[in-house]
Amino acid sequence: MTVTLARRRRALSDYQVKMLFLMPTLLLLVGMNVFPLIWSLHLSFHDYAADMPGRPPRAVGVANYTALLHDPNLWRNFQVTAEFVVLAVAAQFLIGFGVALLLNREFKGKGLITTLILLPMMLSPAVVGLFWKLILDPNWGLLDFLIRPVTHASVPWLTNDRTALPALVMIDTWMWSPFMMLISLAGLNAVPRHLYEAAEVDRASGWFKFRHITLPLIAPLLLLALIFRTMDAFKLFDMVWVATEGGPGDVTKTVSVGLYVQAFREWRTGEACALAYVLLVVIIALSSLYIRWLSRIRGEA
Amino acid sequence: MNGRLKRTLALTAVGVVLVIYLLPIYWIVATSFKEYGDILARPPRFLFVPTLRNYAALFLLPGQGLQATPFAARLLNSVIIASFSTVLAIALGTMTAYAFSRFRTRGQSDWLFFILSTRMLPPVVVVIPVFLMYRALGLFDTHVGLIMLYTAFNVSFAVWLLKGFMDEIPKEYEEAALVDGYSRLQAFVRVVLPQAVAGIAATSVFCLISAWNEFAFALVLTQRTAQTAPPYIPSVVGSGATEWGRIAAGTVAFLLPVAIFTFIMRKHLLRGATFGALKR
Amino acid sequence: MRHCWMALAGGLVALALMAGCGRKPTQATKAQKITIAWAQWAPADYLSELGKEYTKQTGTEVMVEQIPWPQYQDKIFAAFAAGDSTYDIVVGDSQWLGRCSALAGNHYIELTDWMKKNLDASSIVPQALMNLGEYPKGTGRYWAVPAETDAVGFAYRRDLFENPKERAAFKAKYGRDLAPPKTWQELRDIAAFFTRPPELYGVALYFGKQYDTVTMGFQEVMWSFGGAYDDPKTYRVQGVLNDDAGVKALQFYVGLKPFTPPGSESFGIGKECVDAFNKGLVAMAEDFFAFFPGLADPTKNPHAKVTGFFPSPAAIGPDGKERHYISIGGQGFSVPRYSKNQETALDFIKWFCQEPVQLKWASLGGFTANKKVLASEKFLSATPYNRAFAAAFPYLRDFYAVPQYGELLTVTQTEWNAAVNGQKSAQVAMDEVAKQHTAILKKAGFIK
Repeated sequence: MTVTLARRRRALSDYQVKMLFLMPTLLLLVGMNVFPLIWSLHLSFHDYAADMPGRPPRAVGVANYTALLHDPNLWRNFQVTAEFVVLAVAAQFLIGFGVALLLNREFKGKGLITTLILLPMMLSPAVVGLFWKLILDPNWGLLDFLIRPVTHASVPWLTNDRTALPALVMIDTWMWSPFMMLISLAGLNAVPRHLYEAAEVDRASGWFKFRHITLPLIAPLLLLALIFRTMDAFKLFDMVWVATEGGPGDVTKTVSVGLYVQAFREWRTGEACALAYVLLVVIIALSSLYIRWLSRIRGEA
Repeated sequence: MNGRLKRTLALTAVGVVLVIYLLPIYWIVATSFKEYGDILARPPRFLFVPTLRNYAALFLLPGQGLQATPFAARLLNSVIIASFSTVLAIALGTMTAYAFSRFRTRGQSDWLFFILSTRMLPPVVVVIPVFLMYRALGLFDTHVGLIMLYTAFNVSFAVWLLKGFMDEIPKEYEEAALVDGYSRLQAFVRVVLPQAVAGIAATSVFCLISAWNEFAFALVLTQRTAQTAPPYIPSVVGSGATEWGRIAAGTVAFLLPVAIFTFIMRKHLLRGATFGALKR
Repeated sequence: MRHCWMALAGGLVALALMAGCGRKPTQATKAQKITIAWAQWAPADYLSELGKEYTKQTGTEVMVEQIPWPQYQDKIFAAFAAGDSTYDIVVGDSQWLGRCSALAGNHYIELTDWMKKNLDASSIVPQALMNLGEYPKGTGRYWAVPAETDAVGFAYRRDLFENPKERAAFKAKYGRDLAPPKTWQELRDIAAFFTRPPELYGVALYFGKQYDTVTMGFQEVMWSFGGAYDDPKTYRVQGVLNDDAGVKALQFYVGLKPFTPPGSESFGIGKECVDAFNKGLVAMAEDFFAFFPGLADPTKNPHAKVTGFFPSPAAIGPDGKERHYISIGGQGFSVPRYSKNQETALDFIKWFCQEPVQLKWASLGGFTANKKVLASEKFLSATPYNRAFAAAFPYLRDFYAVPQYGELLTVTQTEWNAAVNGQKSAQVAMDEVAKQHTAILKKAGFIK
């Protein structure tokens, strides 16, 4: 009895444990995220080049932000990003969902196949962009060889201004349609069998079953996946940078690529910070959408 | 349509899909084993005599044995930085996830939102002020610097994922332990953690893969000493023509651990990839 | 609320702790080793070889770190921005001079006084010294010493040019002999003549968007047509860059694309043009002379024995006058302010500029700017391309070296590559460059 009480007195209270468990993480996140972002906000109101640290930042008010609004290059970058996101997410969704419908039956080796198809999305996007450069090479690439009988000419995928963006969409789709496929599969599997059986009793057609049973039940999951992929595609930098660096011209210059060039090649640090903030707002809007939906699906308040 | 025919068609389609997905990977693996002439052959060669020359170039210095070639050094950096940051992220993440799961905190959902949103930020956005900060602190091109950054980036993800796992562990076990005289800490270590091992393992793999694959931060914040493999591999070029064989070898050497981990953790992959939305 | 303040305070403490861990250990003064940063290419290998000589003579170890061209500028400037002390010598591009001088980023130490005491400036070709070391031009302030002077030139298939059937057909069609072109207009004829897809194309040119490729390729055509980037005194760009000569020059340059292999819109420096030539895909290939050693090497180039070289040609402008300008390349040795071995670095540079060392440098394959060595028969006959290289010197001209060169370069790269790609007409592209250059120079204070 006394031993137990002594143990209790020496032990940490629930409150202390909570603090011990929460504080280090929060400190780290504040130090690595909040603090730099505040500094960045401060810089966004200045004219500053980070590679000339001897020259102190010069206050310019909201000049950097107004410059953003009037910058045709920036609008073009947003356009490129939007085009990419729409095309890529649509392709991934259609292909992923389509393949899921195909795979939604029992057959030997299903587990192995699903695992294999998972591999592309676990790879480093930068490295994926790199080896696709070889595959898409117009002179000795694999793809060129496969489609030349049809096109009768080599297509310089990544260096031609008309095909560069579609090529990137293709690479991204290759990487991520398995993701959509798996989510669709999970959703399809979760639909209770008896609903289909009941519908069959009433002689419902395949389309009817799909439209009134399958679709409504997997819609929430699909929506989640769509939001997630949209956010990710919007952020994309690694793959684009390695594959094309935004070229040819600025045909594949997404906003992330444009931001990197502005910050670390042209060293227009103040302006880059302003653009970074604008992006931040957009991303927070998108991710709050995702997180709220995510919480709902996970059944949390 | 005949059920059997439908099934055959579907399986064929599956086969086609599989080939499309795996062909690029096969191709890069094959390229890594090809001689220079085979790589540039038109039409591309599917059959060839394999060679280990490309791997040797990456890991061995001419005339010397297994030394710290630039590539091997970068790979080692990747291993060190990814492992340390994962260990830290998991340690912090497990504790925080437990706290959020078991203790009611004021504004909990807001904190969780804040935590996860840090993970959603595009690296290019975050890296600008972090570059300046690291410069001021002398952390540019240091292992410590990159480890701290990766830990911060991964801990948010780990918290979200682990909270989901923690929520699934019934509270009754700890409560019984508490009644038996265990302190909260002891209950955590002796009762909860063992049950969370599967979740912790899955989350660790995700953090590892995420840190291993990271490109943008490493590109900006490292130069030589602490540079990891992803920013280095695209630059494994020979003077003159592009050494695709070497690049392919570097790529395969780099992708292999991820492939192995993916296979080991396949049951939990979907969960991790959707930040805990799906429990398969 | 209290939690927030605690978190903020703790965050600052965490940062301070990290700073403590972060400091690199201060180096003891054992200046037995210097690290030189250069791009990843053959001349850097030659420098390594030369460095071994230096080690033999002085015991100081010389480590040459090679960074691939596409990342070279980014990496060096990031290192400068971070105050990194890794490099004791940086073999920097001539365009970097302005930004790295004390007038802007203050990354290079000024070499003016050191040069007066340690260098015989008259031994170096003045164009090289000025373009690769002086900033601002004409003020006598120096920040770099020429290491590898380079110029744009051409390799050509002598066997095709000397083939009797080809010569007869060419003479019949164009009324003159088939020979290395003296003007860009002649080059165009030859390129058209040899364009026989898909086996052979006329020429491989600098079209790509990487770093400074299309700018290096096009600017010499622009200058030779009578165009210019700006007015030398007022820096005015509008009406100077996009004048008739400039637009016609760009139309001409873009008009050469049909005579180049597929994918040429992305041909970069030192890679694709040389590759195409090695594969026998083109009759002529443009590149910096620094890449020609590979072309003279039979193990790399099956046609090495029949490969000839000529310097970039002149051009006849719209006004009928012939002008001759060639893009200068090359880099100079600079010493970063952050290096901990500045004395040793300067000693190396002094040693490098001596005539016997320059001779050895040239014999290894490096390109010298030493007057005597350049004129010597030994140098001229040492390789198939040295004569063409020496012939280019009087016509060398450079891009901007002002601190904003990077922004100016990004504009020309984007717009001129877009013109090559057919995305924009020459007039629109030139107008766009003029507009953006004006804005940049105005913001920097060059244009009042």
